[in-house]
Amino acid sequence: MGNDLNTLNLREIPTLLRGEPEPSNQAIQHCTPRRVWLYLAVIFAGAGIFGAGVGCWRGPLQALYTSVKLPLVLLLTTLGNAVLNGMLAPLLGLNISFRQSLTAILMSFTIAAVILGSFSPLLFFLLWNAPALGEKGDLSEGAHNLILVVQSLIIGFAGVASNLRLGQLLCRLSGSPIVARKILFGWLAVNLLLGAQLSWNFRPFVGAPGLPIEFLRKNAFEGNFFEIIFNAARHLLFH
Amino acid sequence: MSDSDYLPPPIPPQIQNQPPTLPALPLEETLEDREPVSGVLPAVEAILRQPRRILRQLRQEGHGSLIACLILIAVACSLVYGLVVGSFSRGDQLYQFWTAPVKIALGLVLSALICLPSLYIFSCLSGSPARLVEVFGVLAGVLALTTVLLIGFAPVAWVFSESTKSLPAISALHLFFWLVATYFGLRFLHTGFAHLGAKSNGGVKVWVVIFLLVALQMTTALRPIVGTAPTFLPAEKKFFVNHWFECLHD
Repeated sequence: MGNDLNTLNLREIPTLLRGEPEPSNQAIQHCTPRRVWLYLAVIFAGAGIFGAGVGCWRGPLQALYTSVKLPLVLLLTTLGNAVLNGMLAPLLGLNISFRQSLTAILMSFTIAAVILGSFSPLLFFLLWNAPALGEKGDLSEGAHNLILVVQSLIIGFAGVASNLRLGQLLCRLSGSPIVARKILFGWLAVNLLLGAQLSWNFRPFVGAPGLPIEFLRKNAFEGNFFEIIFNAARHLLFH
Repeated sequence: MSDSDYLPPPIPPQIQNQPPTLPALPLEETLEDREPVSGVLPAVEAILRQPRRILRQLRQEGHGSLIACLILIAVACSLVYGLVVGSFSRGDQLYQFWTAPVKIALGLVLSALICLPSLYIFSCLSGSPARLVEVFGVLAGVLALTTVLLIGFAPVAWVFSESTKSLPAISALHLFFWLVATYFGLRFLHTGFAHLGAKSNGGVKVWVVIFLLVALQMTTALRPIVGTAPTFLPAEKKFFVNHWFECLHD
């Protein structure tokens, strides 16, 4: 790997997916700017293509917007939590530097983005077979639900697979499955907290049929994700 | 602690709960397995009788010609089987002999291409060091084996095509033949993955479900494959389950 330090090597991506111990450890130990650029490029490409698939049912412009917004949410979540995650790792028993923790999380998002990208042809095929938005009442609604479920399954799978690899990496670095699990849950918790809110701010991704296509909603920064969930739950239970 | 202070453990600890390693068959078991496959007919023979030869050659230099052969076999056999499928509507005014063969070949190739990226990802996640081209080669082998078996079913399918007027019945029969042929094709895939060094086969099982769903949906996206229509592609979009229920209802 040493000779690859200064090259943008796409062959690193399959080794990440396989979770090969030596290349992953090397990537953590010697994280060069080029490697970071590679991860960023892969995140933008993979999550961008998937985002285009998510948005294209509503319209080409929505596809473009979502292809930009989805990678942005991943990257902003990584950057926004970088300091916190870097502090959590030593506190929970793994003495790695801020840069190493950031690289580890970036690697896991890269894995997720590759998986999302690889499932994009399936998503596009599904959309090609779905009735156009609003074409037929029940059929369109059924297709909408199906697409949402499939998208969620793909995102869920990508998340599980990438975190599994991240967990394995942390386990190797710490030498303790318990420490690795603690750090993984800590990182997941804070990433979920920020990621959910950023997703709320950056809505819409799919694009509601009755609303105009826009990059951000006019009330993008009004309210927060958890408040909406809380209000919805309260409405469901007490009305 | 600075970057330079941190030293990883000299021997990485073993990760608990690693999936069990699949028993990979040795590639160079017999001399016959080492014999290179060249040409279409030897490739057909090898994929039926000595799949190990195909799998071995896919990992050698010059696998491009073998992959091309496998794809050629798959396309040619699909076209031939498609003629039999289309023969059901021979008496119809809208019958065009080329539509069913083209749709079957096109559907098969498109389904494979749509599912190829996810197959490669699953192969990586299962720990296989296989390159994309090797995974593509195995997939081409799956298609070739499936379609060669369909050719075996073609005479039976033709007899039924000539004997029935029921569209759902003949469609169900073709679907059954395709499922049987695909079962053997996917068995080749499992063997191929074991040869490619996959440590678990959970991912392949998930992929098989995805591939079957895509292929079934493709039959609806390109409908009608059995029967006739004024246009090559349907105007209305449907999911295959809806389409099947409607066909049965009609």
